[in-house]
Amino acid sequence: MLKTTLLSVGFALTLGTQALSQSLNICVEGAYPPFSYTTESGSVAGFDIDIANALCDNLGYDCTLVKTGWDGIIPALLERKCDAIIASMAITPERKQVVDFSMKYYNTPARFVGREGMTMDNLNGAVVGVQRGTVHHEYMRGEHPTVDLKLYGSQDEAFLDLAAGRIDAVMGESIASATGFLETEAGEGFAFFGPPISMPKYHGIGAGIAVRQGEEDLRNAISHAIGELRADGTYQKINQKYFDFDIFGG
Amino acid sequence: MLEVLPFLPLLLRGTMVTVALALLGLGLATALGAIGAVGRLSGGRLSAVVVRAYTTLVRGVPDLVMVMLVYFGGQRMLNDIGALAGWDHVSLPPFWAGVLSIGLIYGAYLTETFRGAYMAIPSTQSEAARALGLGRFVTLRKVILPQMLRHALPGYANVWMVLVKSTAVVSVIGLGDLVGMANDIGKSQREPFLFFGFVLLVYLSITWVSNRVFATIERRIAT
Repeated sequence: MLKTTLLSVGFALTLGTQALSQSLNICVEGAYPPFSYTTESGSVAGFDIDIANALCDNLGYDCTLVKTGWDGIIPALLERKCDAIIASMAITPERKQVVDFSMKYYNTPARFVGREGMTMDNLNGAVVGVQRGTVHHEYMRGEHPTVDLKLYGSQDEAFLDLAAGRIDAVMGESIASATGFLETEAGEGFAFFGPPISMPKYHGIGAGIAVRQGEEDLRNAISHAIGELRADGTYQKINQKYFDFDIFGG
Repeated sequence: MLEVLPFLPLLLRGTMVTVALALLGLGLATALGAIGAVGRLSGGRLSAVVVRAYTTLVRGVPDLVMVMLVYFGGQRMLNDIGALAGWDHVSLPPFWAGVLSIGLIYGAYLTETFRGAYMAIPSTQSEAARALGLGRFVTLRKVILPQMLRHALPGYANVWMVLVKSTAVVSVIGLGDLVGMANDIGKSQREPFLFFGFVLLVYLSITWVSNRVFATIERRIAT
Protein backbone atom coordinates (compact mmCIF):
# COMPACT_ATOMS: atom_id res chain seq x y z
CA MET A 1 0.00 0.00 0.00
CA LEU A 2 2.74 2.39 1.08
CA LYS A 3 4.74 1.33 -1.94
CA THR A 4 1.95 2.26 -4.34
CA THR A 5 1.58 5.63 -2.66
CA LEU A 6 5.30 6.27 -2.97
CA LEU A 7 5.19 5.14 -6.57
CA SER A 8 2.33 7.45 -7.42
CA VAL A 9 4.06 10.37 -5.68
CA GLY A 10 7.19 9.61 -7.67
CA PHE A 11 5.13 9.42 -10.81
CA ALA A 12 3.50 12.79 -10.05
CA LEU A 13 6.93 14.34 -9.47
CA THR A 14 8.24 13.06 -12.78
CA LEU A 15 5.16 14.40 -14.51
CA GLY A 16 5.73 17.73 -12.77
CA THR A 17 9.30 18.14 -14.01
CA GLN A 18 8.34 16.99 -17.46
CA ALA A 19 5.64 19.64 -17.67
CA LEU A 20 8.17 22.19 -16.47
CA SER A 21 10.65 21.40 -19.21
CA GLN A 22 8.09 22.20 -21.88
CA SER A 23 6.26 25.22 -20.60
CA LEU A 24 7.36 28.04 -18.37
CA ASN A 25 5.30 30.86 -16.85
CA ILE A 26 7.23 34.08 -16.44
CA CYS A 27 6.11 36.91 -14.17
CA VAL A 28 6.59 40.37 -15.69
CA GLU A 29 5.56 43.81 -14.47
CA GLY A 30 4.35 45.87 -17.43
CA ALA A 31 4.67 49.28 -15.80
CA TYR A 32 8.39 50.08 -15.86
CA PRO A 33 9.34 51.53 -19.25
CA PRO A 34 11.51 50.99 -21.21
CA PHE A 35 12.18 47.64 -19.54
CA SER A 36 8.59 46.53 -19.31
CA TYR A 37 5.51 48.39 -20.50
CA THR A 38 1.95 47.78 -21.68
CA THR A 39 1.09 48.25 -25.35
CA GLU A 40 -2.16 49.22 -27.09
CA SER A 41 -3.09 45.59 -27.61
CA GLY A 42 -2.68 44.87 -23.91
CA SER A 43 0.47 42.85 -24.36
CA VAL A 44 3.71 43.68 -22.63
CA ALA A 45 6.87 44.86 -24.37
CA GLY A 46 10.28 46.20 -23.49
CA PHE A 47 13.82 45.11 -22.75
CA ASP A 48 12.79 42.59 -20.07
CA ILE A 49 10.21 41.07 -22.39
CA ASP A 50 12.62 40.74 -25.32
CA ILE A 51 15.15 39.11 -23.02
CA ALA A 52 12.47 36.76 -21.70
CA ASN A 53 11.48 35.70 -25.22
CA ALA A 54 15.08 35.30 -26.33
CA LEU A 55 15.81 33.13 -23.28
CA CYS A 56 12.79 30.97 -23.97
CA ASP A 57 13.83 30.52 -27.60
CA ASN A 58 17.31 29.61 -26.50
CA LEU A 59 16.10 27.11 -23.91
CA GLY A 60 13.34 25.68 -26.08
CA TYR A 61 10.62 26.45 -23.55
CA ASP A 62 7.06 27.33 -24.42
CA CYS A 63 6.69 30.50 -22.37
CA THR A 64 3.66 32.37 -21.08
CA LEU A 65 4.11 35.86 -19.70
CA VAL A 66 2.09 36.53 -16.55
CA LYS A 67 1.54 40.19 -15.80
CA THR A 68 1.77 40.78 -12.06
CA GLY A 69 1.90 43.91 -9.91
CA TRP A 70 5.31 44.59 -8.36
CA ASP A 71 4.04 44.23 -4.78
CA GLY A 72 2.72 40.74 -5.47
CA ILE A 73 5.46 39.49 -7.78
CA ILE A 74 7.54 37.44 -5.30
CA PRO A 75 4.47 35.85 -3.66
CA ALA A 76 3.28 34.96 -7.17
CA LEU A 77 6.55 33.09 -7.79
CA LEU A 78 6.49 31.35 -4.42
CA GLU A 79 2.87 30.22 -4.85
CA ARG A 80 3.70 28.89 -8.32
CA LYS A 81 1.65 31.40 -10.27
CA CYS A 82 4.83 31.60 -12.34
CA ASP A 83 8.19 29.84 -12.48
CA ALA A 84 10.53 32.78 -13.02
CA ILE A 85 10.49 36.56 -12.57
CA ILE A 86 11.96 38.74 -15.30
CA ALA A 87 11.18 42.21 -14.02
CA SER A 88 14.43 44.14 -13.63
CA MET A 89 14.76 42.69 -10.16
CA ALA A 90 18.08 43.53 -8.50
CA ILE A 91 19.93 40.61 -6.96
CA THR A 92 20.20 41.32 -3.21
CA PRO A 93 21.01 39.28 -0.09
CA GLU A 94 17.53 39.97 1.33
CA ARG A 95 15.78 38.64 -1.75
CA LYS A 96 18.17 35.69 -1.88
CA GLN A 97 16.72 34.54 1.42
CA VAL A 98 13.41 33.84 -0.34
CA VAL A 99 14.29 33.26 -4.00
CA ASP A 100 17.28 32.15 -6.07
CA PHE A 101 18.74 34.27 -8.85
CA SER A 102 20.34 33.55 -12.19
CA MET A 103 23.46 35.49 -13.12
CA LYS A 104 22.75 39.17 -13.79
CA TYR A 105 21.28 40.14 -17.14
CA TYR A 106 22.08 43.81 -16.75
CA ASN A 107 23.61 46.17 -14.27
CA THR A 108 23.10 49.90 -14.44
CA PRO A 109 24.06 52.40 -11.74
CA ALA A 110 21.65 54.27 -9.49
CA ARG A 111 21.54 58.07 -9.43
CA PHE A 112 19.86 60.99 -7.72
CA VAL A 113 17.56 63.25 -9.71
CA GLY A 114 16.79 66.77 -8.58
CA ARG A 115 16.28 70.35 -9.78
CA GLU A 116 19.08 71.54 -12.04
CA GLY A 117 21.88 72.92 -9.90
CA MET A 118 21.23 70.64 -6.94
CA THR A 119 24.33 68.97 -5.51
CA MET A 120 25.10 66.29 -2.94
CA ASP A 121 25.65 69.11 -0.41
CA ASN A 122 21.93 69.93 -0.57
CA LEU A 123 20.95 66.39 0.32
CA ASN A 124 20.75 66.89 4.07
CA GLY A 125 17.53 68.67 4.84
CA ALA A 126 16.03 67.56 1.55
CA VAL A 127 13.14 65.14 1.16
CA VAL A 128 14.05 62.24 -1.12
CA GLY A 129 11.52 59.94 -2.80
CA VAL A 130 12.24 56.25 -3.44
CA GLN A 131 10.22 53.24 -4.52
CA ARG A 132 9.30 51.19 -1.48
CA GLY A 133 11.03 47.84 -1.04
CA THR A 134 13.69 48.48 -3.68
CA VAL A 135 17.49 48.49 -3.41
CA HIS A 136 17.33 52.28 -3.58
CA HIS A 137 15.23 52.31 -0.44
CA GLU A 138 17.84 50.12 1.31
CA TYR A 139 20.67 52.30 0.04
CA MET A 140 19.07 55.49 1.36
CA ARG A 141 18.44 53.91 4.75
CA GLY A 142 21.99 52.59 5.01
CA GLU A 143 24.04 55.44 3.56
CA HIS A 144 21.87 58.50 4.19
CA PRO A 145 20.04 57.66 7.42
CA THR A 146 19.46 61.32 8.30
CA VAL A 147 17.82 62.23 5.01
CA ASP A 148 14.03 62.47 5.05
CA LEU A 149 12.57 59.69 2.90
CA LYS A 150 9.23 59.56 1.18
CA LEU A 151 8.19 56.09 -0.02
CA TYR A 152 6.23 55.31 -3.16
CA GLY A 153 4.63 52.23 -4.67
CA SER A 154 6.24 52.94 -8.02
CA GLN A 155 9.05 55.00 -9.48
CA ASP A 156 6.60 57.08 -11.51
CA GLU A 157 4.72 58.26 -8.45
CA ALA A 158 7.98 59.53 -6.99
CA PHE A 159 8.65 61.51 -10.18
CA LEU A 160 5.11 62.91 -10.19
CA ASP A 161 5.73 64.27 -6.71
CA LEU A 162 9.16 65.58 -7.68
CA ALA A 163 7.62 67.51 -10.57
CA ALA A 164 4.86 68.70 -8.26
CA GLY A 165 7.45 70.04 -5.81
CA ARG A 166 6.42 67.80 -2.91
CA ILE A 167 9.90 66.27 -2.70
CA ASP A 168 13.36 67.62 -3.55
CA ALA A 169 15.00 64.59 -5.11
CA VAL A 170 14.42 61.03 -6.26
CA MET A 171 16.82 58.13 -5.88
CA GLY A 172 16.47 55.49 -8.55
CA GLU A 173 17.88 53.43 -11.35
CA SER A 174 19.58 55.70 -13.90
CA ILE A 175 18.02 54.45 -17.15
CA ALA A 176 14.46 54.40 -15.85
CA SER A 177 15.05 57.90 -14.44
CA ALA A 178 16.42 59.20 -17.74
CA THR A 179 13.81 57.74 -20.09
CA GLY A 180 10.97 57.83 -17.61
CA PHE A 181 11.39 61.37 -16.43
CA LEU A 182 14.39 63.49 -17.49
CA GLU A 183 13.78 63.00 -21.21
CA THR A 184 10.07 63.80 -20.94
CA GLU A 185 8.30 67.16 -20.78
CA ALA A 186 7.73 66.81 -17.06
CA GLY A 187 11.46 66.38 -16.51
CA GLU A 188 12.40 69.80 -17.85
CA GLY A 189 14.51 71.74 -15.37
CA PHE A 190 15.60 68.56 -13.61
CA ALA A 191 18.90 66.70 -13.88
CA PHE A 192 21.02 63.94 -12.40
CA PHE A 193 23.25 65.06 -9.56
CA GLY A 194 26.02 63.32 -7.66
CA PRO A 195 28.02 60.39 -9.05
CA PRO A 196 26.62 57.14 -10.48
CA ILE A 197 26.28 54.77 -7.55
CA SER A 198 26.74 51.04 -7.61
CA MET A 199 27.49 49.47 -4.23
CA PRO A 200 27.24 45.69 -4.28
CA LYS A 201 26.20 45.80 -0.61
CA TYR A 202 22.92 47.49 -1.57
CA HIS A 203 22.60 47.39 -5.30
CA GLY A 204 23.83 43.87 -5.56
CA ILE A 205 25.46 42.82 -8.72
CA GLY A 206 22.73 43.78 -11.12
CA ALA A 207 19.30 42.60 -12.15
CA GLY A 208 18.76 38.87 -12.26
CA ILE A 209 16.04 36.39 -13.04
CA ALA A 210 14.42 34.99 -9.92
CA VAL A 211 13.32 31.37 -9.55
CA ARG A 212 12.04 29.41 -6.55
CA GLN A 213 14.72 28.17 -4.18
CA GLY A 214 16.00 24.71 -4.91
CA GLU A 215 15.21 24.80 -8.63
CA GLU A 216 18.87 24.49 -9.51
CA ASP A 217 18.37 23.02 -12.97
CA LEU A 218 16.17 25.87 -14.15
CA ARG A 219 18.44 28.48 -12.59
CA ASN A 220 21.58 27.05 -14.17
CA ALA A 221 19.88 26.68 -17.52
CA ILE A 222 18.82 30.34 -17.44
CA SER A 223 22.28 31.56 -16.41
CA HIS A 224 23.83 29.49 -19.16
CA ALA A 225 21.35 30.89 -21.68
CA ILE A 226 22.15 34.48 -20.66
CA GLY A 227 25.81 33.73 -21.40
CA GLU A 228 24.86 32.34 -24.79
CA LEU A 229 22.73 35.38 -25.68
CA ARG A 230 25.73 37.56 -24.85
CA ALA A 231 28.02 35.38 -26.97
CA ASP A 232 25.83 35.03 -30.07
CA GLY A 233 24.92 38.71 -30.35
CA THR A 234 21.21 38.37 -29.52
CA TYR A 235 21.66 40.39 -26.36
CA GLN A 236 23.43 43.22 -28.19
CA LYS A 237 20.62 43.36 -30.76
CA ILE A 238 18.00 43.71 -28.03
CA ASN A 239 20.17 46.18 -26.13
CA GLN A 240 20.44 48.36 -29.25
CA LYS A 241 16.68 48.65 -29.58
CA TYR A 242 16.41 50.49 -26.29
CA PHE A 243 19.75 51.95 -25.24
CA ASP A 244 22.75 53.57 -26.90
CA PHE A 245 25.29 51.83 -24.65
CA ASP A 246 25.80 48.29 -23.35
CA ILE A 247 23.75 48.01 -20.17
CA PHE A 248 25.21 44.62 -19.22
CA GLY A 249 27.77 46.52 -17.10
CA GLY A 250 31.22 45.46 -15.95
CA MET B 1 -7.35 63.45 -24.66
CA LEU B 2 -6.69 61.90 -28.09
CA GLU B 3 -3.95 59.76 -26.57
CA VAL B 4 -6.63 57.69 -24.88
CA LEU B 5 -8.24 56.59 -28.15
CA PRO B 6 -5.77 53.87 -29.20
CA PHE B 7 -6.11 52.36 -25.73
CA LEU B 8 -9.89 52.52 -25.67
CA PRO B 9 -10.43 48.81 -26.51
CA LEU B 10 -8.07 47.85 -23.71
CA LEU B 11 -9.74 50.20 -21.24
CA LEU B 12 -13.16 48.91 -22.22
CA ARG B 13 -11.95 45.37 -21.65
CA GLY B 14 -10.81 46.50 -18.20
CA THR B 15 -14.24 48.05 -17.62
CA MET B 16 -15.90 44.76 -18.53
CA VAL B 17 -13.69 42.95 -16.03
CA THR B 18 -14.59 45.48 -13.35
CA VAL B 19 -18.32 45.22 -14.05
CA ALA B 20 -18.29 41.41 -14.25
CA LEU B 21 -16.29 41.22 -11.04
CA ALA B 22 -18.66 43.59 -9.27
CA LEU B 23 -21.82 41.81 -10.43
CA LEU B 24 -20.56 38.31 -9.61
CA GLY B 25 -19.17 39.61 -6.33
CA LEU B 26 -22.55 41.12 -5.52
CA GLY B 27 -24.28 37.82 -6.36
CA LEU B 28 -22.01 35.89 -4.02
CA ALA B 29 -22.29 38.58 -1.33
CA THR B 30 -26.10 38.49 -1.57
CA ALA B 31 -26.14 34.72 -1.15
CA LEU B 32 -23.72 34.87 1.79
CA GLY B 33 -25.62 37.78 3.30
CA ALA B 34 -28.92 35.88 3.08
CA ILE B 35 -27.41 32.76 4.63
CA GLY B 36 -25.72 34.86 7.29
CA ALA B 37 -28.91 36.72 8.18
CA VAL B 38 -30.86 33.44 8.44
CA GLY B 39 -28.09 32.02 10.61
CA ARG B 40 -28.21 34.98 12.97
CA LEU B 41 -31.99 35.21 13.18
CA SER B 42 -33.55 31.79 13.18
CA GLY B 43 -30.76 29.33 13.88
CA GLY B 44 -29.51 28.01 17.15
CA ARG B 45 -26.65 29.35 19.23
CA LEU B 46 -23.94 27.73 17.14
CA SER B 47 -25.01 29.26 13.83
CA ALA B 48 -25.35 32.67 15.50
CA VAL B 49 -21.80 32.38 16.86
CA VAL B 50 -20.42 31.28 13.48
CA VAL B 51 -22.12 34.14 11.64
CA ARG B 52 -21.05 36.67 14.23
CA ALA B 53 -17.45 35.46 13.96
CA TYR B 54 -17.66 35.78 10.16
CA THR B 55 -19.04 39.32 10.15
CA THR B 56 -16.69 40.53 12.89
CA LEU B 57 -13.60 39.01 11.32
CA VAL B 58 -14.31 39.99 7.74
CA ARG B 59 -15.47 43.51 8.50
CA GLY B 60 -12.28 44.02 10.49
CA VAL B 61 -9.91 43.12 7.65
CA PRO B 62 -8.97 45.71 4.98
CA ASP B 63 -10.09 44.80 1.43
CA LEU B 64 -6.51 44.78 0.19
CA VAL B 65 -5.41 42.30 2.85
CA MET B 66 -8.42 40.08 2.12
CA VAL B 67 -7.61 39.94 -1.60
CA MET B 68 -3.97 39.06 -0.88
CA LEU B 69 -5.06 36.45 1.67
CA VAL B 70 -7.49 34.76 -0.68
CA TYR B 71 -5.24 34.87 -3.74
CA PHE B 72 -1.90 33.89 -2.22
CA GLY B 73 -3.10 32.13 0.92
CA GLY B 74 -5.77 30.31 -1.05
CA GLN B 75 -3.17 29.25 -3.59
CA ARG B 76 -0.90 27.95 -0.84
CA MET B 77 -3.80 25.96 0.58
CA LEU B 78 -4.54 24.53 -2.87
CA ASN B 79 -0.84 23.70 -3.32
CA ASP B 80 -0.68 21.92 0.04
CA ILE B 81 -3.87 19.98 -0.60
CA GLY B 82 -2.62 19.21 -4.11
CA ALA B 83 0.69 17.91 -2.77
CA LEU B 84 -1.12 15.62 -0.35
CA ALA B 85 -3.58 14.37 -2.94
CA GLY B 86 -0.93 14.07 -5.63
CA TRP B 87 -2.61 16.40 -8.14
CA ASP B 88 -0.74 18.40 -10.67
CA HIS B 89 -0.55 22.12 -9.93
CA VAL B 90 -4.03 23.61 -9.64
CA SER B 91 -4.10 27.34 -10.16
CA LEU B 92 -6.51 29.77 -8.51
CA PRO B 93 -7.24 32.32 -11.26
CA PRO B 94 -7.04 35.97 -10.16
CA PHE B 95 -10.56 36.69 -11.44
CA TRP B 96 -12.18 34.07 -9.24
CA ALA B 97 -9.95 34.98 -6.32
CA GLY B 98 -11.27 38.51 -6.79
CA VAL B 99 -14.92 37.40 -6.93
CA LEU B 100 -14.38 35.26 -3.85
CA SER B 101 -12.76 38.10 -1.87
CA ILE B 102 -15.35 40.69 -2.86
CA GLY B 103 -18.19 38.24 -2.15
CA LEU B 104 -16.74 37.31 1.25
CA ILE B 105 -16.22 40.90 2.32
CA TYR B 106 -19.56 42.32 1.23
CA GLY B 107 -21.47 39.23 2.31
CA ALA B 108 -20.57 40.26 5.85
CA TYR B 109 -21.98 43.74 5.34
CA LEU B 110 -25.11 42.41 3.66
CA THR B 111 -25.66 39.98 6.55
CA GLU B 112 -26.11 43.02 8.75
CA THR B 113 -28.19 44.85 6.12
CA PHE B 114 -30.60 41.92 5.80
CA ARG B 115 -30.72 41.32 9.54
CA GLY B 116 -31.48 44.98 10.14
CA ALA B 117 -34.25 44.89 7.53
CA TYR B 118 -35.83 41.87 9.21
CA MET B 119 -35.65 43.47 12.65
CA ALA B 120 -37.32 46.60 11.29
CA ILE B 121 -40.53 44.64 10.72
CA PRO B 122 -42.71 44.66 13.85
CA SER B 123 -43.19 41.17 15.29
CA THR B 124 -46.94 41.85 15.28
CA GLN B 125 -46.83 41.30 11.52
CA SER B 126 -45.91 37.65 11.78
CA GLU B 127 -48.21 37.22 14.76
CA ALA B 128 -51.08 38.58 12.69
CA ALA B 129 -50.17 36.28 9.81
CA ARG B 130 -50.20 33.29 12.16
CA ALA B 131 -53.52 34.40 13.57
CA LEU B 132 -54.86 34.34 10.02
CA GLY B 133 -53.68 30.76 9.76
CA LEU B 134 -50.78 31.33 7.34
CA GLY B 135 -47.93 28.85 7.48
CA ARG B 136 -44.36 29.80 8.23
CA PHE B 137 -43.24 29.72 4.61
CA VAL B 138 -46.21 31.68 3.28
CA THR B 139 -45.74 34.24 6.06
CA LEU B 140 -42.11 34.66 5.05
CA ARG B 141 -42.83 34.94 1.34
CA LYS B 142 -45.99 37.02 1.38
CA VAL B 143 -45.65 39.09 4.54
CA ILE B 144 -42.05 39.38 5.69
CA LEU B 145 -39.97 39.39 2.47
CA PRO B 146 -41.86 42.15 0.61
CA GLN B 147 -41.50 44.42 3.62
CA MET B 148 -37.88 43.40 4.17
CA LEU B 149 -37.09 44.37 0.60
CA ARG B 150 -38.24 47.90 1.23
CA HIS B 151 -36.09 48.21 4.35
CA ALA B 152 -33.06 46.48 2.85
CA LEU B 153 -32.91 48.32 -0.45
CA PRO B 154 -31.23 51.60 0.64
CA GLY B 155 -28.55 49.66 2.52
CA TYR B 156 -28.18 47.23 -0.36
CA ALA B 157 -27.71 50.06 -2.85
CA ASN B 158 -25.12 51.58 -0.56
CA VAL B 159 -23.15 48.34 -0.31
CA TRP B 160 -23.22 48.03 -4.11
CA MET B 161 -21.75 51.53 -4.53
CA VAL B 162 -18.89 50.75 -2.16
CA LEU B 163 -18.40 47.30 -3.67
CA VAL B 164 -18.01 48.64 -7.21
CA LYS B 165 -15.18 50.88 -6.17
CA SER B 166 -13.49 48.33 -3.97
CA THR B 167 -13.05 46.03 -7.00
CA ALA B 168 -10.06 48.27 -7.75
CA VAL B 169 -7.96 46.45 -5.15
CA VAL B 170 -7.82 43.34 -7.34
CA SER B 171 -5.25 45.04 -9.54
CA VAL B 172 -2.59 44.10 -6.97
CA ILE B 173 -2.99 40.46 -7.93
CA GLY B 174 -2.40 41.30 -11.56
CA LEU B 175 -5.99 41.18 -12.73
CA GLY B 176 -6.58 43.52 -15.67
CA ASP B 177 -9.51 45.43 -14.20
CA LEU B 178 -10.13 49.05 -15.18
CA VAL B 179 -7.82 50.51 -12.53
CA GLY B 180 -5.05 47.97 -13.12
CA MET B 181 -5.22 48.56 -16.87
CA ALA B 182 -5.23 52.34 -16.54
CA ASN B 183 -2.34 52.16 -14.09
CA ASP B 184 -0.18 50.06 -16.40
CA ILE B 185 -1.06 52.04 -19.52
CA GLY B 186 -0.68 55.37 -17.76
CA LYS B 187 2.77 54.45 -16.54
CA SER B 188 3.81 52.98 -19.86
CA GLN B 189 2.61 56.11 -21.70
CA ARG B 190 3.86 58.40 -18.91
CA GLU B 191 0.41 60.02 -18.78
CA PRO B 192 -0.99 58.76 -15.47
CA PHE B 193 -3.47 61.65 -14.97
CA LEU B 194 -5.02 61.27 -18.37
CA PHE B 195 -5.80 57.59 -17.87
CA PHE B 196 -6.91 57.96 -14.28
CA GLY B 197 -9.18 60.76 -15.48
CA PHE B 198 -10.81 58.24 -17.78
CA VAL B 199 -11.18 55.81 -14.87
CA LEU B 200 -12.92 58.52 -12.88
CA LEU B 201 -15.46 59.07 -15.67
CA VAL B 202 -16.19 55.36 -15.99
CA TYR B 203 -16.77 54.87 -12.26
CA LEU B 204 -18.92 57.98 -12.21
CA SER B 205 -21.09 56.59 -15.01
CA ILE B 206 -21.42 53.23 -13.29
CA THR B 207 -22.56 54.82 -10.04
CA TRP B 208 -24.86 57.22 -11.90
CA VAL B 209 -26.59 54.38 -13.75
CA SER B 210 -26.80 52.37 -10.52
CA ASN B 211 -28.38 55.32 -8.74
CA ARG B 212 -31.08 55.57 -11.40
CA VAL B 213 -31.78 51.85 -11.32
CA PHE B 214 -32.08 51.70 -7.54
CA ALA B 215 -34.21 54.87 -7.46
CA THR B 216 -36.61 53.27 -9.95
CA ILE B 217 -36.85 50.05 -7.96
CA GLU B 218 -37.40 51.97 -4.73
CA ARG B 219 -40.20 53.96 -6.31
CA ARG B 220 -41.82 50.76 -7.63
CA ILE B 221 -41.85 48.89 -4.36
CA ALA B 222 -42.87 51.90 -2.30
CA THR B 223 -46.32 51.91 -3.88
